[in-house]
Amino acid sequence: MAGGDAFEKKFNEVSNDIPIFNAENIQNNMKIIYYSRTFLSIVGGVIAGILGFTGFAGFVLYFLVMAVTSVGLIAKAKFSVQSYFDSWNRVILDGFLGGLMSFVLFWTFAYDIVHIF
Amino acid sequence: MTGLGFVVGVLGVLFLSHAAYSTIQYKNLLKITEDEFSGPPMNVVLELVLGFMFCMHAALSVPGKFQSIHPDSEENRVVSLPANMEFMIFNHRGRAIISEMDMKLKL
Repeated sequence: MAGGDAFEKKFNEVSNDIPIFNAENIQNNMKIIYYSRTFLSIVGGVIAGILGFTGFAGFVLYFLVMAVTSVGLIAKAKFSVQSYFDSWNRVILDGFLGGLMSFVLFWTFAYDIVHIF
Repeated sequence: MTGLGFVVGVLGVLFLSHAAYSTIQYKNLLKITEDEFSGPPMNVVLELVLGFMFCMHAALSVPGKFQSIHPDSEENRVVSLPANMEFMIFNHRGRAIISEMDMKLKL
């Protein structure tokens, strides 16, 4: 079956050229990441406010919370990130700065409620 | 499954607000004894960690499951075995085409 093998190999080479992804599912997965990160940024902000962090320590807590969120998302994707996203950056870096603003907002909010009033 | 995740999330938020309330009471106590606030008491920290873990579980289970982006994965099938047996085809012209390619490559 040498002829048959050559035929199959040529067919496979052509079909591996351009990876086509299901765009609707990519969007769905990005939405899930965005919701998870925003919610956990808010929760992290409330925790930083209750613990009375001021200044640098709060941002350290934010990075810690984001790192834990990344690990959680990778675990949710059952460690095979390639089959749900088109690049690793999506799971690790996406939504970082948007979450930062929510974090600072709820951080000041909680700090005011617990420590000042 | 998202229903349970939602309940766990609400529970986590309740733990957080109870921790905030305990910290406020603790600060009032410190005002009476004129001490400085160095950190919330141990049970508040424990409650915060517990609340954070509950919220984490909720954040990962409530928004929905990840869906595979490969067009050839099992859950993205456009066509599945027909439930109606009348549309199943067992003989078609593909068999003739492949053996034609065979003969061309062997030349």
